[in-house]
Amino acid sequence: MNQLKQLFTRYKMLALVIAIAVIWLFFSWETDGGFLTPRNLSNLLRQMSITGILACGMVLVIISGEIDLSVGSLLGLLGGVAAILDVVYHLPLPLNLCIVAGCGLLIGLANGCMTAYLRIPSFIVGLGGMLAFRGILLGITGGTTIAPVSPELVYIGQGYLPPLVGVVLGVLLFALTLFLTWRQRSNRALHGLAAHSLVRDVVRVAAIGAVLAGFVYTLNSYDGIPVPVLLLLVLLGVFSYITSQTVFGRRIYSVGSNMEATRLSGINVQAVKLWIFGIMGVMCALAGLVNTARLAAGSPSAGNMGELDAIAACFIGGTSMRGGSGTVYGALLGALVITSLDNGMSMLDVDSYWQMIVKGSILVLAVWVDVSTRAGRR
Amino acid sequence: MSDYLLQMNGIVKSFGGVKALNGIDIKVRAGECVGLCGENGAGKSTLMKVLSAVYPHGTWEGEIVWDGQPLKAQSISETEAAGIVIIHQELTLVPDLSVAENIFMGHELTLPGGRMNYPAMIHRAEALMRELKVPDMNVALPVSQYGGGYQQLVEIAKALNKQARLLILDEPSSALTRSEIEVLLDIIRDLKAKGVACVYISHKLDEVAAVCDTISVIRDGKHIATTAMADMDIPSIITQMVGREMSNLYPTEPHTVGEVIFEARNVTCYDVDNPKRKRVDDISFVLKRGEILGIAGLVGAGRTELVSALFGAYPGRYTGEVWLDGKPIDTRTPLKSIRAGLCMVPEDRKRQGIIPDLGVGQNITLAVLDTFAHLTRIDAEAELGSIDKEIARMHLKTASPFLPITSLSGGNQQKAVLAKMLLTQPRVLILDEPTRGVDVGAKYEIYKLMGALAASGVSIIMVSSELAEVLGVSDRVLVIGEGQLRGDFINEGLTQEQVLAAALSQSGDTAHNKNNNDRPGAVGDARQ
Repeated sequence: MNQLKQLFTRYKMLALVIAIAVIWLFFSWETDGGFLTPRNLSNLLRQMSITGILACGMVLVIISGEIDLSVGSLLGLLGGVAAILDVVYHLPLPLNLCIVAGCGLLIGLANGCMTAYLRIPSFIVGLGGMLAFRGILLGITGGTTIAPVSPELVYIGQGYLPPLVGVVLGVLLFALTLFLTWRQRSNRALHGLAAHSLVRDVVRVAAIGAVLAGFVYTLNSYDGIPVPVLLLLVLLGVFSYITSQTVFGRRIYSVGSNMEATRLSGINVQAVKLWIFGIMGVMCALAGLVNTARLAAGSPSAGNMGELDAIAACFIGGTSMRGGSGTVYGALLGALVITSLDNGMSMLDVDSYWQMIVKGSILVLAVWVDVSTRAGRR
Repeated sequence: MSDYLLQMNGIVKSFGGVKALNGIDIKVRAGECVGLCGENGAGKSTLMKVLSAVYPHGTWEGEIVWDGQPLKAQSISETEAAGIVIIHQELTLVPDLSVAENIFMGHELTLPGGRMNYPAMIHRAEALMRELKVPDMNVALPVSQYGGGYQQLVEIAKALNKQARLLILDEPSSALTRSEIEVLLDIIRDLKAKGVACVYISHKLDEVAAVCDTISVIRDGKHIATTAMADMDIPSIITQMVGREMSNLYPTEPHTVGEVIFEARNVTCYDVDNPKRKRVDDISFVLKRGEILGIAGLVGAGRTELVSALFGAYPGRYTGEVWLDGKPIDTRTPLKSIRAGLCMVPEDRKRQGIIPDLGVGQNITLAVLDTFAHLTRIDAEAELGSIDKEIARMHLKTASPFLPITSLSGGNQQKAVLAKMLLTQPRVLILDEPTRGVDVGAKYEIYKLMGALAASGVSIIMVSSELAEVLGVSDRVLVIGEGQLRGDFINEGLTQEQVLAAALSQSGDTAHNKNNNDRPGAVGDARQ
């Protein structure tokens, strides 16, 4: 038991993967295999992409020691703007994308400015934004659904990549894994650090290869890799790079871990926070676009409670509540847990009140497991 | 046989496979004060946690005999009920509650219905304060109205109110001024006379020598020796602590003091909460190339406020100018100061120094991370190379640069914070209490490093509450009292008495020794 606990402490993500497997097996058994069909898995991932995109931004916000409650409403607002620009003004898609992303960036920066420079607690800024953005959305849509959006926009949310592209993508990703593993080994050797055992690396590469192959094969045996899932994969790569390889990323952790010490080290902590919120705004824009495209309409209730799903995904994925630690892939695994529960319970026709109870309980349970396995921490 | 109030026999406490305590014996008689000495990480705090049942009975080996009976406490409340009270290094008062409420925290006197019996509590609190010789304290005011020294006394009053028979004081004087320490030591002597036993843990060996009857030294979790203070002196305690002769506490690195390069002009800081009150009142001074300038003064005199204003880190409003190389420089934020060549190692390592979630190496490179970046990406190899170099230069003891910084001892954490600042290649380095909570060995290395930096032409401003340290390493000493400059001394034959006299002097005059006319541009003097 103790050994098991130690194992999970070290490989926290392993516990999360096992949890996902258990959830999937349970639903698969309850639905006589319906849950694990390529069609449903493809749906599941598409569904997950919106929470996932938000979680990518939210994990940065939470690592830096802040919170943003306005993302659900902002998603709805920006998705609504995209729908209006498309349906009413017939703007070409690229221009539409740029305008919506630009609006997201500006609103995010405004949130960041209020938090970092005006010193309004981010919880309050988010709470205010949550109401205000929803209000603006209701105002500009007049409370009605904006439809039908153009096929180009719909493609972002409902399109699929041709199977061949999917295969090529899988092969490229596998090659990247091989390259990174090889470089890590040679780097460690260069610095006289003990290299990981060859067996460990081979198993790791093989496991990643198997997951990639399964992923591409499953999706291709339905309609191919959905466009929003591709977008999410790209974001996973970009955000993992930002958090682990860049100066900005290191500063996010440092600000969240000890803001005062970071400031005294000559780092402009306010600018770091400002840009984190700016990025969060762009993520809301992307999520809003995907959401509008997926529904093929701009809805005044779009993104309702989206912030809670994104925040829950981060915490289930092991992000620390007091800031300073967390990972992007953890947050995405968290998003997968949340979406799997949503999807599975909907398939089982569970009453929506039960769905809320179960999701709430899982969030609390996951954080309890996280807290109790956090060795030697306050 | 047992005239001992407390006997701890053969205490062994392991964490994982590591023995933090390996067979420690401590005995305390009623009315006796035992000084517990050892370097940081020697196991003093662990031992006290065993005694006060932070680690409950059964999680360690050995036995504790209390008043002739074996003590098998499971929690702090049990040991407190027995009369063992620990006062931690970090105060555990609630700042917004009143002095009386803090004293009765958890033991409130109540009226029927659970209402607080304020008159009785205030009456008892006032009696306790009279006993502690601070009769003028208003126990109905919030604790935050009082300074560190008074807060420490409130902690002691709280302990006395619990009928403590054994008082454990863990570094009680680290935030106290000289005069407050004297009051504290007097109180401990009074308590001894009343039969209360004390365990006194401190790095300040002169206090230990002044108040303790017996000295127990532990090193690396082992009991080294227990000796009557009458048979010991401070050098012999140090020898036992470090396990080797420490001939000179303050190594002198030969360095030459050059011309004036840095100047602070008319620095005035206003209190954060009360903007009319001046914490620093119009202080100007100069600093020469390669000079170590010690800033002495009582706690609360405005030393930290002064240097954090110079660095742009003072939280309240302040005015003044900072000049470097004959030009005014912009030091309104730490970032601008560092760019201009001025940097500061802050006073409170835990709150202002380390980033707890980052590794040792990542802490070291934090301030200069940009220099390792190629198009946003950190060059991990270059970073690691630089980290290795700093670790070697600072003699920083860590198994790997990837370990969490919180796993290091205080001295090594301080070296990491120092390394972080040195990587910015400062011309002027401000060190605020650089050796607070640092063990003797690391202190020695920090002094040596300061000497080497001065020899390479870096000018150092060191704020310290330890007068011996100020006199031991400085070329020149500024004395601050009540926010004003009270003395500016060349450190030649300067005595602690002179410095204290200046700090306590009432007038606004600035005392000088010799013919020290340090005006801006004055010719520098050479020292070796």
